[in-house]
Amino acid sequence: MIKSFCTVLVMCLWVLPLQGANLKPYNGSDSTPPLKLVDLQGKTHNLDDYKGKIVLLQFWATYCTPCRKEMPSMNKLLRKMQGTPFEILAVDMGESKTEVQAFVDQVKPEFTILLDETGQSIAQWKVFAAPSNFIIDVQGKIRYTLYGGVEWDSPELISQLKALAN
Amino acid sequence: MKRLIFQIGHFFLMFSMVLLAEAREIRLFETAELEVEVRVFPAQGDVLLLGFPCDEGKSNAEEKTAQSLANDGIEVWMPDLLSAYMLPKIKSSLGQIEDTVLATLIDAAMKTGKQVYLVASGTDTQLVLRGAQHWEADVENPALGGAVLLFPRLYKGEPQPGIKPEYQDVVGATRLPIMLMEGERTPNRWGLMDMTNALSQGGSPVISKIIPMVRGYFFKREDANRSEDVVTSQLAGLIKVSLFYLNQEVPHD
Repeated sequence: MIKSFCTVLVMCLWVLPLQGANLKPYNGSDSTPPLKLVDLQGKTHNLDDYKGKIVLLQFWATYCTPCRKEMPSMNKLLRKMQGTPFEILAVDMGESKTEVQAFVDQVKPEFTILLDETGQSIAQWKVFAAPSNFIIDVQGKIRYTLYGGVEWDSPELISQLKALAN
Repeated sequence: MKRLIFQIGHFFLMFSMVLLAEAREIRLFETAELEVEVRVFPAQGDVLLLGFPCDEGKSNAEEKTAQSLANDGIEVWMPDLLSAYMLPKIKSSLGQIEDTVLATLIDAAMKTGKQVYLVASGTDTQLVLRGAQHWEADVENPALGGAVLLFPRLYKGEPQPGIKPEYQDVVGATRLPIMLMEGERTPNRWGLMDMTNALSQGGSPVISKIIPMVRGYFFKREDANRSEDVVTSQLAGLIKVSLFYLNQEVPHD
């Protein structure tokens, strides 16, 4: 009896985090804030140049435990979205290049990591928690947001993202 | 020889633990409907720090800090509100603690004749603001010294990306001088200016500072790193500096 109860409890705990993984329609300002930042190789990325692609823009930090946990699922998402115009831009929130590089060497994200040491974009995008995610459509408009760590390669999220390409 | 050093060290450790245990008193405060147990770290000085730790009567770092402050002449009171209400240690319990009870405790602290400051951390900081607001409403010349809010978590719900956060109603509802401290290694540091502005809406002078190299809740963490351990060991000093700053904000005759 106790064993069955524990099994059910474990299953519930396993399923619960995925239930909250739906993207929220964005109700903020109509205009998309600017974003122009450098990556770890020093290359400048301008969000305007990503028009025509769906962009997952994430604000994260190395000290954020859910950010670290969900990064492998973001790698999987990138692979599962192959054939769809899709990019992930992950903006580190105010840490040094050295700190971020050490994290990247360990966790090995396969997507673009951007640095914002001054926090300028964090203020412009009104980010107050991490991970904070914005889903931007092919026209460059913010369509959805999501706060907190999730399994990014879940079928529900993938179908929501793919729907934006149509 | 090593054994002798170990024995002497052990003796001093036990001796200091006995001293620490004896320095703390438990006092009962009666309000209209309930009794609140308050851990009191008495001191001879003219400053009293009233803390609202929702810790069910036990919190290591806060008690060590309280003892250290008492050794320096600052009396510390730590009421155990969760146990008084028989509430579990969860966020929603805070809403069940009545403003009148918080104000009664502030009133009792004020009656000692000492300069009273309030302190709390994380979500417990709402108790400081609610208590102060209720108490200010009942007295003609509120003379609280101010409040130290350590990494306050005062959002109404979860902060949604791209949208300015909504704060609890009590934010910006007091005139209390406030010292706000936030860890550098938390996303909340990016909301520090916004929260500072929100808190000052009711007339509070608010000073905000970032504590370098620590995460939020640093002194409550089981996975605290070296820098967090160091800052925790210096928490009493941080609070004394905060009281100094707050003292500059209080109008003096």
